[in-house]
Amino acid sequence: MRASSPRGLALVPLLALCAIAAVLVALPLTIDNPYALHVMILLFLTVVQGESWNVLGGYTGQYSVGHAAYFGLGAYVTLILLQSRQVPPWWGVWAAILLAVVVAIVIGSITFRLRGPYFVLASIAVAEIFRLVALNWGSMTSGAEGILVSDIPPLQVAGRTVTDFTSKVPFYYAGFALAVTTIVVNWGVKNSKLGYYFQAIREDQDAAHSLGIALPVYKNIALGISAFFTAWSGAFYGLYVGFIDPGTVLSVEVSVQFVLICIIGGIGTIAGPVLGALLLVPLSEALRANLLSDLLFKLGVVDEGTPTGIFLKDNLAHAHALIYGILVVLVILFMPDGVLGFARKLLARRRGQAPAAAPSAAKDSA
Amino acid sequence: MASILEVSHVSKFFGGLAANSDVSFSVEEGAILGLIGPNGAGKTTLFNCITGFYPPSRGEVRFSGRRMNGLTPDRVCKLGMARTWQKVRPLAKMTVLDNVMVGALIHTNRLSVASAIAMEQLRYVGMDGRAPHLAGGLPIGERKKLEVARVLATRPRILLLDEVMGGLNPAESEEIIQLILEIKSRGITQIVIEHDMKAIMRISDRIVVLNSGEKLTEGLPREIGADERVITAYLGQAFDGH
Amino acid sequence: MEVFLQSLLSGVLVGGNYALVGIGLTLIFGVMRVINFAHGDLLMVGMYLTFYAFSLLGIDPFLSIALTMPVMFVFGAFLQRVFINRVLDALPQNQILLTIGLGLIMSNSVMLFFTSDYKILSTSYSSGSVRLAGLSVSEPLFVSFVITAAITAALYWFLIKTNTGQAIRATAQDREAAQLMGVNVRRMGVLAFGLGAALAGAAGALISPTYYIFPQVGGAFTLKAFVVVVLGGMGSVVGATLGGVIIGTVESLAASYVSSGLKELFVYVLFLLVLLLKPSGLLGKSRL
Repeated sequence: MRASSPRGLALVPLLALCAIAAVLVALPLTIDNPYALHVMILLFLTVVQGESWNVLGGYTGQYSVGHAAYFGLGAYVTLILLQSRQVPPWWGVWAAILLAVVVAIVIGSITFRLRGPYFVLASIAVAEIFRLVALNWGSMTSGAEGILVSDIPPLQVAGRTVTDFTSKVPFYYAGFALAVTTIVVNWGVKNSKLGYYFQAIREDQDAAHSLGIALPVYKNIALGISAFFTAWSGAFYGLYVGFIDPGTVLSVEVSVQFVLICIIGGIGTIAGPVLGALLLVPLSEALRANLLSDLLFKLGVVDEGTPTGIFLKDNLAHAHALIYGILVVLVILFMPDGVLGFARKLLARRRGQAPAAAPSAAKDSA
Repeated sequence: MASILEVSHVSKFFGGLAANSDVSFSVEEGAILGLIGPNGAGKTTLFNCITGFYPPSRGEVRFSGRRMNGLTPDRVCKLGMARTWQKVRPLAKMTVLDNVMVGALIHTNRLSVASAIAMEQLRYVGMDGRAPHLAGGLPIGERKKLEVARVLATRPRILLLDEVMGGLNPAESEEIIQLILEIKSRGITQIVIEHDMKAIMRISDRIVVLNSGEKLTEGLPREIGADERVITAYLGQAFDGH
Repeated sequence: MEVFLQSLLSGVLVGGNYALVGIGLTLIFGVMRVINFAHGDLLMVGMYLTFYAFSLLGIDPFLSIALTMPVMFVFGAFLQRVFINRVLDALPQNQILLTIGLGLIMSNSVMLFFTSDYKILSTSYSSGSVRLAGLSVSEPLFVSFVITAAITAALYWFLIKTNTGQAIRATAQDREAAQLMGVNVRRMGVLAFGLGAALAGAAGALISPTYYIFPQVGGAFTLKAFVVVVLGGMGSVVGATLGGVIIGTVESLAASYVSSGLKELFVYVLFLLVLLLKPSGLLGKSRL
């Protein structure tokens, strides 16, 4: 047990979490707006992406900027099995995840002897190799054309059709379950021997080595867990959106997004990716739906009829990646510990002391 | 008493440079061996060779009769040989308690057990009150003690201390000396690299002197203190400035 | 045999471009230990500057390079002063992320203002060819190689013969020692980044008659620049020169003998091999 306070979740945050979960479960039953459901599904997906990257990047300190490799692998294997062999996705996804984990461990065994920036470079190179293979292996992946999901077979349980996937609701619940699972696993890892060892590796690899931590083993475990959920999220994305191609699931932008979610929210914490998702998803949706330019017009900051106004209206929707870039720069320069770290520092300064660590279980459970 | 560690004709080459050259000595179980020599003599390199960070280019290291060449540092630690670092290495963003728990987790999978072991070691070095503090914010004296507590949590049979008194004031150094003697009373063998001559003379049962990668001599503290060659090695170093 | 020699030759010539990009990157790393992921995007900016100099002002790309380079130098110096300088003591991962962010801003701003339409800079000699030792070579490629060689030679002279150049090398070799000897290491950082940007911009200018010009073109060049630099040894200008030629040759031979779509694959696989077998590169001074 920790010396300074009881281990495990404190009661109040736990109750709050349960309340939030209950609301989320009830949401599709009360709200009939497909767009709202869509945004929530994107939110769940983004949370899973962030949490899964966090295991390798945040806890273990191995910054992969090539996670698109596993995301894309999950998407492609699941969809290829579905389209060419009619394998229902709830079986296909397991094949995809298994393959992704095996591939991850192979890559990890090769690249983990590299440190810091060299590891980053290798991860990018690996993802690029995957993308080029997908682009050129036309017979398997249809190359640049991509793969279109024609039909997801209806899900049958005990002879009754539960859903035929025509509405967003099954994706909502599947996404919710995925997000909850990922968060729970993350919490479990963080409060276990694995979590301690991962963080030791992040803090000082040689010191960790000298304390009995077999570096390749634990780094690969972290990567395996990370790849597991990343591939799962890729499969989910492919099934939900219904179309994938090398540019959308294997590109550097995808890899950067994985990192961005955690950087913005706060690396190495459980709440961080959730926060990052809560910031990024509404932002990109607002951009896409022209909400941002509409807001600027309504506030009178810019006049809709002027050249600037027209320009904004036409282009802000596509400024997705530009905003990402600006966010990354701002966060790195001014909030390298993410929003969470920044808030923590503010709080500590207000209490007038250097930030002492709160027990990790309680602080990271909410 | 039996020798717990035997270093036989160990050499380590980096390209053309011989950082260690034909070094041999043995350490009796439960004893404290002082390892001294001017800067650049190869003391830390020797530690790295013994604990698996470098494989020796030549020679052999035997721990309780078992050949250690080529074992990885984590294996070495699991077998009971642990080391501290010349430039102290706290796991900065983790708490003091978590730091020591990382050490304790080597022999258990349960956090509760590791936590108990960790608190025990922290009490031993007098830092249990600092448990929730972030390791990165500690002053140097406490960092050194933390590193000792952390490494003790791995339940070593032999402990290699690399300039554990480096950068400490006399009061802090005295605390460390007492700690080393207490560790000895627990039956743990120690090899201590140190520049503080008075301290080494006080605590060591035997002393090995390295110079320019080679073993210059070894013997009892009073023999070493009187040895002309040792004095010259240090003085020569001071005049050359190397 | 002729196919082999032909690919070899164009590989060497293309390699000159890669070398130019790689030299800039290795200078930046050598002096500041910063891994600049926006390097390819700097090349892209150079391409666009050249394109508009040509289409709006009618200046030939091989001439406008004399303007593009100073402009890019100033831009690079600006980036260093305002952004890079602030993260020199941060975690390498954060430095990388910062440069990735800057790259995203550069490429997407260009996309916003100039659309993502592929642009083509077509000169009278764009599809011309030159005969060299019985082999036929693309004319713009040949001219760009000659200019690259001239720029590289000038750079070597600068680094070896001038005081400032030697100060840069000293900073790359041992920052603290250089500082103790009175070198203004902060200024060296600004210079290095400016130079790196100028060289990347120059490479962009030189390839603009033969490449499609679009906002995302930088990405592939960044990665290739890293392969060049790692192959040659991080921080070694000579290494980057060699590395560039090797990469260009590998790519060209792969395109001829395997497939054009997969030529980059070979480069990245070579990259992984180098990282695994000899991460310090051919001439590296590394620091892994």
